[in-house]
Amino acid sequence: MNSTVFSYFLQSNELSNLIASSSKFLGFDTTSLFAFIIFAIFAGIIVGVMATIGGLGTYAERKISADLQMRMGPNRVGPFGLLQFLADGVKMILKEDIVTSQADKFTFNLAPVLCMVGVFATLAVVPYSSGFMMADLNVGIFYLVGMASLVGVGVFLGGYASNSKWSMLGGMRGASQIISYEIPATITIISIVLLAGGLSMKTLINGQGGAPHEWYIFHNPFAFVGFFVFFISALAETNRAPFDLPEAESELVSGYNTEYTGMKFGLFALAEYIEVFVVCGVAVALFLGGYKVPFDLGSGAILVEKLGMDGMIAQNIGQILELGAFFTKTLALYYVVIWVRWTLPRIRVDQLMTLCWKYLTPIAIFNLLGCAVWMYAFNGKSIFTLIFSAAASHGGH
Amino acid sequence: MFGNTLFLLSAVLTLAGAFAVVYSKNLMHACIYLLASLFGVAGLYACLGADFLAATQLVVYAGGVVILMLFAIMLTGGTGNKVNRYGLEKIPSMGNKKTFMIAGFTAVVTALVLAKITYSVFAAKTVATTGFNSPSVADIGTALATDHILAFEISSVLLLGALIGAAIISRPRKEIHD
Amino acid sequence: MSTLNLDVYMPVVILIALALLVAGGSLFLGSLIRPHNPNKLKETAYECGEEPVGNAWANFNIRFYVIALIFIIFDVESALMFPVAAVFKRFNEIGLGGVLLGSIFTFVLILVSGLVYCWKKGDLDWVKSYTQAPPTLGKKD
Repeated sequence: MNSTVFSYFLQSNELSNLIASSSKFLGFDTTSLFAFIIFAIFAGIIVGVMATIGGLGTYAERKISADLQMRMGPNRVGPFGLLQFLADGVKMILKEDIVTSQADKFTFNLAPVLCMVGVFATLAVVPYSSGFMMADLNVGIFYLVGMASLVGVGVFLGGYASNSKWSMLGGMRGASQIISYEIPATITIISIVLLAGGLSMKTLINGQGGAPHEWYIFHNPFAFVGFFVFFISALAETNRAPFDLPEAESELVSGYNTEYTGMKFGLFALAEYIEVFVVCGVAVALFLGGYKVPFDLGSGAILVEKLGMDGMIAQNIGQILELGAFFTKTLALYYVVIWVRWTLPRIRVDQLMTLCWKYLTPIAIFNLLGCAVWMYAFNGKSIFTLIFSAAASHGGH
Repeated sequence: MFGNTLFLLSAVLTLAGAFAVVYSKNLMHACIYLLASLFGVAGLYACLGADFLAATQLVVYAGGVVILMLFAIMLTGGTGNKVNRYGLEKIPSMGNKKTFMIAGFTAVVTALVLAKITYSVFAAKTVATTGFNSPSVADIGTALATDHILAFEISSVLLLGALIGAAIISRPRKEIHD
Repeated sequence: MSTLNLDVYMPVVILIALALLVAGGSLFLGSLIRPHNPNKLKETAYECGEEPVGNAWANFNIRFYVIALIFIIFDVESALMFPVAAVFKRFNEIGLGGVLLGSIFTFVLILVSGLVYCWKKGDLDWVKSYTQAPPTLGKKD
């Protein structure tokens, strides 16, 4: 059941021949070596793409917020200000790195690295497309939840290490916010796992289809509410407004970020933007059909039939279509995340905790039980399947 | 080949983290080394093919228990280095003769028991050739739902007890009458 | 199932190594080109222009710890629910769905009762309400 990028490419004849010939040449089975090379190449590509998306995310945030506030936003560096994030990156590297005298040096340096490790490790299971997924672990979604909570440890250590009252408060609030909102998110994920019947990302996506009526969000009313519960919880987990108390710019100076300068602050920010993308990707995979393209174009089978193309090339075209579908949906959700930030005011910390434990968690548990009852009562059929079959049986009379 | 690398990395991480926890003088740092050690244990589970157990280790331990410990340390303010004015380490229960005697006796007994258990492993000259049946998530789920359903339900009662106990213990004492 | 293919964990290890490389590399690169002029004032913690007073590592409020405890319990509960939820569809297809539904209900409802208990006793309140211990300002007995 574990399929990876490498197993996708193994389907091509060229790679298999290359492996066979190099095995004969080197004397041992070089499958693992080639797997390592392909994984390393893809990891490099994905890290590069994600870093760019993180950087462009900062640019998009400033442009979209400018649009919402009827001003211009960055438009100096490069065409339409597109290279602004590069300028910001260079600026951050060149800034002096100050470690305050009362800070705990080891933890101070470790916290941004921990955030980065947590976010990058989740990139391994994000389903970009059915073939280009780095590793389709059997426990994909569960592993992702675990790695995302590592970011909470990083936030707390960042706040603690600075030994400043702003940072300490920001760090504690940030960690308690992240762990609290993990519960509704995980329970909502369990209700989707109920519908899909497996934990791996491919199983979750294969249970859905390409057209919107086949997505899990429209499967039953409980999953529909579950999407919003998950989205809100994910927003809170990534410390995005309106839940950005840990880095509240007007309240805590900058929360756990206060004493961080230069590149370390840049690493925190990069980790946050990449995490928003990953969380949007997970929401798309769970509720909005993932990488599935309408009319099942993603598998390339239609291209082979209609145009008689070679199998591997048709599959690659299908993969590119799936990549396009995934990125379109994820970036649309990313836009909604940015939109929400500049529309809603920040909520207080006690409102934050009340929202999580007294509203979202009971709703998530109710959704879980509702999905279970729906699965049992209607044998897992979505509401649209029921309507269509009822209409068909009535039409047949 | 990669299996050996993964095992080596996980084992080194586990052992190094554990040693660092014991030898560290700062309680916060010890917690961080514990996080590294738990990561290593998750890697060891992955080497054995228990992928669900590795993920559970990451979610519950690395993501939950470590944060709980960090909060507890912050709550009790135990982050000062325990050094007295001569610069010598001050450990609260340095121990007297009785402590060391009991500890030594326990160590000897534990070592003997461990040696007896692992003797059979070292004495056998052949490697087991039975196939690997690493249970998948579906197997664990089926087992929890059919054979071990009582354990499943009783675990929820256990969690309920833990929840209520934790809530009662951490509730501030209300001094109404003075 | 008789052979164990660990190659699937390679991306995880590679990505973690890449994260450490990117983080460490960018910091190292920066250390070569950025200025390093520490002085005493720059290295004090920021406290809105005043001199920072006291250690920030003081005792903190217990409500953080209570939230972390409740989180652990629900985290373990969700970890136990995952495998059962993963096989629910299969059980449904062979007709045993009702039994599993009953056990899921029992499991979840036992823990919901724990949540309700914490709610009623005020453990989930961030700001402790005064309904349990009213402040006795002028009434001494």
